[in-house]
Amino acid sequence: MKNRLIFHIDVNSAYLSWEASHRMQHGDPLDLRTVPSAIGGDPETRHGIILAKSIPAKKFKIQTGETLFSARNKCPDLLIVSPNYTLYRQCSMALKELLQEYSPLLQQYSVDEFFLDFTGMEKLLGDPVETSYRIKDEVREKLGFTVNIGISSNKLLAKMASELQKPDRVHTIFPEEISSKMWPLPVEELFGVGRATSRKLRDRGIRTIGDLASESPDDLKRYLKSYGLLLWNYANGRDDSPVRHNDFIPVKGMGNSTTISFDVEDKSTAQLILLSLAETVGMRLRQDAFYTSLISVSLKTKDFLYYSHQRKIYLPTDCTSVIHQVACKLLDELWQNEPIRHLGLRVSELSSNNLFQTSLFEKDTEKQKRIDQAVDTIRLKYGAHSVFRSAFLRSGLKPLSGGVIETEEYPMMSSIL
Amino acid sequence: MKICMQPIESIAWFTKEGIPHPLRYRILTEDKTYKTIKVNQVLFRTEEKIAGNRMLLFRCQGEVNGILKIFELKYELSTCRWYLYKI
Repeated sequence: MKNRLIFHIDVNSAYLSWEASHRMQHGDPLDLRTVPSAIGGDPETRHGIILAKSIPAKKFKIQTGETLFSARNKCPDLLIVSPNYTLYRQCSMALKELLQEYSPLLQQYSVDEFFLDFTGMEKLLGDPVETSYRIKDEVREKLGFTVNIGISSNKLLAKMASELQKPDRVHTIFPEEISSKMWPLPVEELFGVGRATSRKLRDRGIRTIGDLASESPDDLKRYLKSYGLLLWNYANGRDDSPVRHNDFIPVKGMGNSTTISFDVEDKSTAQLILLSLAETVGMRLRQDAFYTSLISVSLKTKDFLYYSHQRKIYLPTDCTSVIHQVACKLLDELWQNEPIRHLGLRVSELSSNNLFQTSLFEKDTEKQKRIDQAVDTIRLKYGAHSVFRSAFLRSGLKPLSGGVIETEEYPMMSSIL
Repeated sequence: MKICMQPIESIAWFTKEGIPHPLRYRILTEDKTYKTIKVNQVLFRTEEKIAGNRMLLFRCQGEVNGILKIFELKYELSTCRWYLYKI
């Protein structure tokens, strides 16, 4: 394959920069990026976790994912702002529009990350490094936030390059630069090495990406299976994944889960929570025109023990009530009556909903289907909470749970490049 | 000029191409009375797209308290609201 040129565009502390530029456009004299500040949770009720932080907040060792409480302990003057997902989507769309000017092949990798295939575009737009400086400056001037751009010959290296030094920078990691720019970094910096893998690698004395690259692939395969081989290739800068035009990765399953703010000890509450999850999962299934034939339930107890259980159903369905019935049966078989803090519901083995084998021995759900359809239409028109089941009245539970924005698509991170 | 970013009530005319031209605006002052200011001249117009939010910015000239002053008005396209941005 001929040499490719891939850009990875990454918004610096995305949620925070977007909020800051939005506020400044509306006349706020304070730039959130210049003071210790963070996005996350609800500052009034003091619940939630940090989703993004400013660079001054980083100096207080505040980490993404920690609770507001512990962040406030580290920095009492920390300014906390609630997230505004509609704004983030608007910013992400604006960035996408701007980037489309530079290449016809653009992949939105997550809400704040894009891959741009620049191969061949240098004939039209000139030197890739100069162009990426132009992109970066244009984003800053027109959209009011800063980005990092990584340039390389594949997606993995481009992504690694954009992580190097922030903010508002352009970096390259071409194959000949791997040994100087990527190998000295700690192994956790490598894409795909998270908490669990890093522990396994550190136990074996692999501390830097360079250590991993020089390891024998057979050894890695022995203790990390095929994933070890993938990581070894990544550490050596090898990746041939294409820039996907509309980022279409076929959906294999969908699920929602919720962490409950109290311990669930009785069956009826647990079943209600499953129902609230079945509502959102069912809506997602119907929206994407799928049927499921495998339903699984997972739970986490108050001691953080996690277990799950799944069942195949013979008649593929997209019906909220059917999913809920199966989920309740699974819960009965699974649950040992210990207090629950987290419940999840997942459906997989998806098939298209326009052709399926009917069954003589299952209940006819035609009527249920029409109800689901009516409820979906009402929710789409008047909002997700316009109609809900009476079982939730005075229960103190949310009639729908799970998901970021319940009805709309929101690009999420994925582990597939 | 200082940033004040106050919501204002305003009268504008629009061309066939959809470009607004502010004529006058009124603002609620501190003593709770309305004050109307006529836009004598639009010096220039620019469009900004900060955080993906489109706004038109007008630098205008008009008489405020008997003095000819320069001020900036902003029109937010997504909400159809006018603001006195700087004065």
